[in-house]
Amino acid sequence: MIYENKIKRNEVKSGGQSDLIPTIKFRHCSLLRNRRCAVAYLYDRLLRIRALRWEYGSVLPNALRFHMSAEEMEWFNRYKKSLATYMRSLGGDEGLDITQDMKPPKSLYIEVRCLKDYGEFEVDDGTSVLLKKNSQHFLPRWKCEQLVRQGILEHVLS
Amino acid sequence: MFVSDFRKEFYEVVQSQRVLLFVASDVDALCACKILQALFQCDHVQYTLVPVSGWQELETAFLEHKEQFHYFILINCGANVDLLDILQPDEDAIFFVCDTHRPVNVVNVYNDAQIKLLIKQDDDLEVPAYDDIFRDEEEDEEHSGSESDNGSEPSEKRTRLEEEIVARTMKRRQRREWEAQRRDILFDYEQYEYHGTSSAMVMFDLAWMMSKDLNDMLWWAIVGLTDQWVQDKITQMKYVTDVGVLQRHVSRHNHRNEDEENALSVDCTRISFEYDLRLALYQHWSLHDSLCNTCYTAARFKLWSVHGQKRLQEFLADVGLPLKQVKQKFQSMDISLKENLREMIEESANKFGMKDMRVQTFSIHFGFKHRFLASDVVFATMSLMESPKKDSSGTDNFIQALDSLSRSNLDKLYHGLELAKKQLQATQQTIASCLCTNLVISQGPFLYCSLMEGTPDIALFSKPASLTLLSRYLLKSFVFSTKNRRCKLLPLVMAAPLSVEQGTVTVVGIPPETDSSDRKNFFGRAFEKAAESTNSRTLHNHFDLSVIELKAEDRSKFLDALVSLLS
Repeated sequence: MIYENKIKRNEVKSGGQSDLIPTIKFRHCSLLRNRRCAVAYLYDRLLRIRALRWEYGSVLPNALRFHMSAEEMEWFNRYKKSLATYMRSLGGDEGLDITQDMKPPKSLYIEVRCLKDYGEFEVDDGTSVLLKKNSQHFLPRWKCEQLVRQGILEHVLS
Repeated sequence: MFVSDFRKEFYEVVQSQRVLLFVASDVDALCACKILQALFQCDHVQYTLVPVSGWQELETAFLEHKEQFHYFILINCGANVDLLDILQPDEDAIFFVCDTHRPVNVVNVYNDAQIKLLIKQDDDLEVPAYDDIFRDEEEDEEHSGSESDNGSEPSEKRTRLEEEIVARTMKRRQRREWEAQRRDILFDYEQYEYHGTSSAMVMFDLAWMMSKDLNDMLWWAIVGLTDQWVQDKITQMKYVTDVGVLQRHVSRHNHRNEDEENALSVDCTRISFEYDLRLALYQHWSLHDSLCNTCYTAARFKLWSVHGQKRLQEFLADVGLPLKQVKQKFQSMDISLKENLREMIEESANKFGMKDMRVQTFSIHFGFKHRFLASDVVFATMSLMESPKKDSSGTDNFIQALDSLSRSNLDKLYHGLELAKKQLQATQQTIASCLCTNLVISQGPFLYCSLMEGTPDIALFSKPASLTLLSRYLLKSFVFSTKNRRCKLLPLVMAAPLSVEQGTVTVVGIPPETDSSDRKNFFGRAFEKAAESTNSRTLHNHFDLSVIELKAEDRSKFLDALVSLLS
């Protein structure tokens, strides 16, 4: 659209219809503004997708993926890769997972209460815990954080 | 089998494992659970907590979780039935049972491998000896084996056969005698249901042995013991003994308050021993309301009659409290009146025939505003756990009640206090209406009362603990209201509608009210036998065997069977 507008302007300039020039300038400015808004919206979407990686981990739920375009998915995958490379480069041989422990942890294990029926949940030594509504569990913090963020478990402070 | 060293054989075993806790729905179990949770959190033991309110829930929850855990801890459930039979666990599952229900089932006592009882053995258990109940089955097999081995001469064979026949009949007779004796012993042992030491106190003892006890845990142990006293589960003597035990711990933890120089800040928890009035919730209510709604005073004044109301006014005049003061909130009463209130009330109560107006109990305070007696907390937690909200399930109430025991959830405790006030008022009103309309009828060997569907607040009495409390208070009030001397010694059976759609009623049996009763309840077995003999559709779902659910249509034949059984 901007291109068409420029062509029109050139025509007018060459055609000598100088009273159309302000209209063209106005249209140009409004087109620029629309473009800026669209770019701002796309940028905000990118920032939110970046936050999704920190919130949900590397696999996004299907409902969210449905709302993202193919380019956004590709951007997400590339962001994931660069974050993973960065994390691997920290902390010696194994790398450091910095998406855990968003707030400084107070203890190794936390007491959590299950708000909805979730089903079986695997613990470190291979056994699993059945998460039923209103059952309380005392589990290692790093296993529970994901579920706490998703709202399935609730951290009980006593 | 009984665990002798709780620390080595229980705690250190589970410390490195993941455990599953099954907790029954009563206040004592909640307190024991909180103490155990605090210990586990201190030692980073991974656990899962599942609330259960009856045998069916216990079985379902066990089936769901049994692949994931090897160690199970049951609090206030499971000691009085054959656990292995009901739950059918795998070979390597180990159960630790901390339960106040007595008598402990003999299978649980004598199973060494899978069931460990966290019960102190000096707790007046009277378990029958092993040889009286169990007998090896091998002797009969030996006998039939030796019989087939005989192959020699006929004459020898005949005499030997005769000898053998004689020996066999002797053995059979002995066996029959032994079995009859066994049935008698088991019948005597399992006839009466009663309660032992509070589980919360047992858990606190464990914490003390490991030197990990805190003031908070001591408070929970106190609340557990007071719950047993409020619900009349233990005798007065046992209560006083246990209070003495806890008092030593209280003075050990809280001695700094007496010393003026080193006293703790006002915000710290302080527990103190009190010889306080028996009036329920009186510090959070008005004195008048508390006097009207505490069973002890309401029964003795006979407050359901006009004469009783007048006596109450006389009593207040005798104490010297103006009516206007007594009817406002206790905290707003004049300080001059509150100063010697306990002694004045006790003196006047003695004149009016109430000798035990004051009881030994404990109170907790933190901050300037928050002061609770142990019985206040018991009533509040009980009301939270049994509040009849339509949309919340049993486990929601359990979680609410569990939270209210923590110090940081005082708003829930205050909410519980409000619910408890409503509950006590509803109880007294129902009792008054039952006595005034003569709903308590004598069926011969017991008294019977049935609440109708349209009674106000009937929803509050569909849960077992509330109904049991109502029944006990009703019996106490009835004893004071009736002139018939024989009726005063009868037990009470009470029925209340449970669910209209399914047509079920809850039936509760209360032992007779005597001064020195040992609180032993025979209704558990009686209900079972009556249900069997009439094929009534009953559900013995609660951990207390004296509370059952019954289909309303079977009510009359069930009662008839009960009458014939008990007379």
